[in-house]
Parts: sequence; C-alpha cells; structure tokens
Amino acid sequence: MAIDNEILENGGQEIIEVIQVENLKKNYNGFKALKGVSFSVKKGEIFGFLGPNGAGKTTTINILSTLTLPTSGLVFVNGFNVVTRPDMVRRSIGLVFQETTLDTHLTAEENLFLHAYLYGVPKKEFNQRKREVLRLCELWDKRKWRVENFSGGMKRRLEISRALIHWPQILFLDEPTVGLDPQTRTKIWDYIFSARKHKETTIFLTTQYLNEAENCDRIAIIDNGEIVALDTPENLKKMVGGDIISFKTSDNELAENEFKEKFPQYKIKRIGKELKSEVENGDEFLPILVKAITPKIISIELRRPTLDDVFLEITGRKIRDDQTLATEEEKEESFNLADLFSLFPKKNKKDKI
Amino acid sequence: MEESHSLKHYPLNVRLKSLYIIWYRELLIYWRNRIKVFTSIFLPLLLIVFFGAGFKAIFPTNLLPYDFSQFFYPGILSLSTAVMAMSSTLSIVWDREFGFLREILVSPIPRSNIVLGKILGATTVASIQGGLLLLVAPYLSLELKLIDFIEIVIFLLIFNAGVSALGVFFASGIKKTESFSIFLQIVIAPMSFLSGAFFPLNNLPLWIKYLAHLNPFSYGADGLRWLVLSSSLKKEEILLFTLHPLNTSILFLIIFDIIIFALAIYRFKR
Repeated sequence: MAIDNEILENGGQEIIEVIQVENLKKNYNGFKALKGVSFSVKKGEIFGFLGPNGAGKTTTINILSTLTLPTSGLVFVNGFNVVTRPDMVRRSIGLVFQETTLDTHLTAEENLFLHAYLYGVPKKEFNQRKREVLRLCELWDKRKWRVENFSGGMKRRLEISRALIHWPQILFLDEPTVGLDPQTRTKIWDYIFSARKHKETTIFLTTQYLNEAENCDRIAIIDNGEIVALDTPENLKKMVGGDIISFKTSDNELAENEFKEKFPQYKIKRIGKELKSEVENGDEFLPILVKAITPKIISIELRRPTLDDVFLEITGRKIRDDQTLATEEEKEESFNLADLFSLFPKKNKKDKI
Repeated sequence: MEESHSLKHYPLNVRLKSLYIIWYRELLIYWRNRIKVFTSIFLPLLLIVFFGAGFKAIFPTNLLPYDFSQFFYPGILSLSTAVMAMSSTLSIVWDREFGFLREILVSPIPRSNIVLGKILGATTVASIQGGLLLLVAPYLSLELKLIDFIEIVIFLLIFNAGVSALGVFFASGIKKTESFSIFLQIVIAPMSFLSGAFFPLNNLPLWIKYLAHLNPFSYGADGLRWLVLSSSLKKEEILLFTLHPLNTSILFLIIFDIIIFALAIYRFKR
C-alpha cells in the first residue's frame, strides 16, 4: 500500500490552504465547546492555537483529525472533508496527542514499524525513514530500548518521530511540550522547525505557553470556544500598542495623578502594587518619566509587548488565570505557614514598642 | 468515540495489511510476556497431571468404563485455551487505558479491523497453546494421527474465535484493566464449571443442563472429546460423558461465532 501521492495531492492539484475551517461548531450535551470557528492554514505554515485550558483547543484538533464529528460547519484537511473522507484525512496527517499513545510493551523501533505499517509506508523505505526520524529526534541509539524505560521527554520525542515517519502533509501537535523541562522543550522546537524545513510539513499546534506561541508563523487566540484574534505574533503584539512600562513608587496614588496630568496621551493602569502604561518609544520616554514623577521610584521596567499582554488586552485577563490554577493558588494561601507564624510575633513586637 | 465514515473507501489490500499488523502486534506482546507463555502451558499441565492423577485414584478404572485422565484431558485442553483467548482480549482495555488505542483509531484503517485483528490474535495465541498441549496426548496413552491433530487445531480455532470475540465484546465497554480482570474472573468461573471439563454434564439436574446448553464452553469441551478420543475409545463410551454430539458442537460454535463477531464489532465501533 504505497501512499498514492496523486490521491494525496487531491488529483495532482497543489493545495495552498491545507486546512480550511468555516463556522465550525461543536456541542457536547448542550455545552458549546466551539461557537463558530473559522480559519485557514497555508501549506508549510506553523500555525498555533493559543488559549487557556478548556478553551476548545483539543476539541478543534479532535475534529480536524477525524476523532470527533463536528456539530455543524465545514472542515477540509488537505482538501478532504473530514466528515465524508476521514480515511484520506487520516492518511495526510500525523498526530501527537497530549498524553502518550505509545505501546510501552514494545521497543522504540517496533512502535515505528507498527505505525509505518498502519500508514502503508513501503517496507523498502521504512528502514531509511526510520533512521531519518530517529536521528532527527536523537533516539537512534535507543531504538532497541523498550518504551517503558523511556523518560517523559524521550517518549514525546519518539511520538514526534513516529508521527513523521509516514511523511504527513500536516502534523498536529496537541500541547507538545507540556510537562517537559525547558531544555527538552527547546529541542522539540528544533525538531518541529527541521521537520518543516526538510519536508515542508505544515504544523498545527496548540499551546498555553505564550513564549512558545511566538515561534509560530501565525497564531489564533481562542477563548471560550471562539477565536478572539488571529494574526502573526508581531501584528498581535502591535495591537497592544507601544512598549510597556511598569513601575513601583513609594506613593502610587500621587504618581498616578502626576502621570495623568503630565502625559494625558497615555493611559495608565494600576495592577496590584504596580503602575502600568503603554507608551511609544519607551527608550526615550523612560528618562522623561523618571524626571516627571516626584515620589521615589522603587523599581521600573521597560519591555516590548508579549503575547501575554495581547491576551490580557483582548480578553481582559491573563492566560494563567484559568480556574485550575486559581484553585491551586487558593490552596497555597490556606496552607501558608509563614503567614500564620508572622501573626503572633508581630503583635508582640508592637506591644513592646 | 464516534464512527464517522462508511467503510467502502478502504481497498482490500489495506484491509488485509491492517488486519495483519494488529494480529502481529498481539503475537509480539504475547511472546514478550514470557511468564504468560510459560504459565499458559504449565498450569494446564499441572491440572492434567496432578488433578487427573488424584481423581484417577478416586475413580479406579474398574468402576468407570474409561480412564479418568482420558475424560479430563480434552476438557482441560478446551478450557485452558478458552481462558487464554478471553484473557488475551485484556489488551483492548490496556490499550484504551494507556492511550495506544487512540493511535490505532486515528490511523487510516477500518475500525472493524481493529476488532477482527484482536480476535484473530487472541485466537491464534490460544490455539498455539492448545497445539502445544496436544503434544502430551501420547503420554496419556491417547492415539492421535496427523489428521486428528489438524482437525483438532481447526476446531480449536473455531471455538476460540467465538470466545475471543466474546472477550472483545465485554472489553469494549470497560475502561480499566483492573475492572476487566475482576469481570473476567466472574464470567469465567461459572462458564468453566458448567463446561463439563471437570465433571460430565449429562447426569446433572435438568436446570443445570439447560444452562450448560447455553454455554459455549460446553460445546468446546465436548467437541474436543469427540475429536481427541475418537481413535482411542468407542463411540458408546464417549457418549457416556458428553452432552452434545460432535456435529451439534461444531454447528453451535459456528453460529455463535457469527453472532458474537457481529455484536463485538458493533459494540466496539460505538
């Protein structure tokens, strides 16, 4: 079963937009996971889906990879409708799930063999491709190891090499670097880039790491089942405006009023104990600001906008503010021993004074 | 998991190759698990030798017109292969629990082939075990010609295909391997006791006999008795301890296979 390139290319026609999604909706027992999502991905692009947990990222990947049926809307992957030709869609894609889907009984090599066979990679080519993908992900030396002895990062690398062995047109990565250490994370991005470089693979990935999303060519920000922004990272950052200055002073209230008076062209926000403003030409503005403010400045920071600022700007909250993390923080607070201890000695001190 | 496509898109060679690879993986996993390979041979042998010897002492040959081990051996042969076939389908639950099932589900192969491949794998493993156990027949003074051997293996394939499909049918609804092992014990125990492997069923109270008539294991045990003992014992002697004639057994098992295959595929796709 050699993969028929003619069929894969959809009749020899070169497809420019390898993923087309129009007004995609998905309901789970009344819960609207996706509320009319539309986007398209060009060939060879690295397209990122950015959003907090439960925003609809995995649902979208599941629909694009034919694992879940859409409630309504049109979805084409590599020119094939996911509802009517899931068989052809499946042949055109490679998938790396959030959780591992390796057979841990078997060796790395055997996992690749099973996958290649399932996807109809010709036997003659298998050995060569095996070497190629294992070298790419730096697992060649460990090819005879049983997967149960692999670390989390090695498993993820093996999964990426497995997803590449049938030369998919599109590689889907669902949070490819979640739970991995920073070094491995950088490596995995290297593999993603080289996969695109060598095979012109289109890459569609979801992530909740903003710094990672900046590696993408284009990003769709998804929140509550809707795409709230879609553009290149640079353009998205331009939405925020200029550079961001945040500073702390000994008297924030006074500083805020002075700022409003002297620089009426810029908005200023108070976030926690910090004052934050978006300004043009931050480098030049910084010395002027320092002179203009009378209260003592404790700290001051100037930075270029990040996707975190974009997310904050669009949705009015930080990407990390989702519920799971909020409960974690609450837990931390309720078990904070330092606070408990500090209560009593402080009182005593005050009494003495 | 929703099944979203019609099956007509898959060409025959894709179907056969995907069937082969799923089957191959089952065998590979079985072979990797050396302890399982060993116990699958050792435990039935233990039963045949020691349990058989014990009962032979209780029922001396002058009381029974046949040797107890001749009665016991084909029963244990069928029972141990059936248990093997059914417990091999645990791999479906395992795959689901540890994620590998998703890898197969998104690959471009028909879903029905996942089920068929698993059934075929479990059947093969069980029949290999049966074939190996057949090698001890000469030591129990049973004559087996090559043609008998082939017939027995074919019968084992028919029998275990149905049992494996039954296992897949059960496994499709279960998410945890632990729950499936417990479930298997609950199912296998009554089916084994009413299979006729340990004692003849034809002298039992009527209601138990009715239950036995519904139990595929009893057809497996009786069918094997006819095939294994036909060269060593007379027909009247075999009739003493079997419930079903050979033809009925084969017919029942083939019909059972067809029904349970359809049910297993239907349930798994859902």
